[in-house]
Amino acid sequence: MNTEQIKEIVESHPVVVFAKGSKLQPMCGFSAHAMEILNRTGRPYEVVNIFDEEDTRANLVSYSSWPTTPQVFIGGELVGGSDIVEEEFGSGTLQQRLETAFGS
Amino acid sequence: MISVEGLRSLLKEHFEGDEVEVRDMTGTSDHFEVCIVSAAFEGKSLIEQHKLVHAACGEHLTRAIHALKIKTSTP
Repeated sequence: MNTEQIKEIVESHPVVVFAKGSKLQPMCGFSAHAMEILNRTGRPYEVVNIFDEEDTRANLVSYSSWPTTPQVFIGGELVGGSDIVEEEFGSGTLQQRLETAFGS
Repeated sequence: MISVEGLRSLLKEHFEGDEVEVRDMTGTSDHFEVCIVSAAFEGKSLIEQHKLVHAACGEHLTRAIHALKIKTSTP
């Protein structure tokens, strides 16, 4: 996946998670944790497995200037990794971002 | 490979005089939890705060450190 494709998927879905592994088979605890929190919000989200294609990870890091995964995007904007997603879930900021991204 | 002490002293260099705690989350020296209390975070978004911590880790991040759970707060 090149940066154009990353930009396209991030801007065409309210919520996108770039993860190590898939939704059903996360291969890293942090990726699984981010998805678990999103599951709790009840909102649908797109998962991109960075291992599916060779250059996805390098292009993602340069696109978001964020070095690690998972990376969660809401409304086309980088929210961060599982620690920020968890913190924003606790403060309610995540739910506000989702409301804006889904329009309700 | 970087040790808990190695990462702590590295972070202490960038967050001088601040409280820095480092924990190895898996015992494999590549998944760390870091808690930092610093005035440097004041007025910054969570992403900006975490980017300061990423910068302090330098090239260790993703080479030696595969995953980093960050908890930031201001004094």
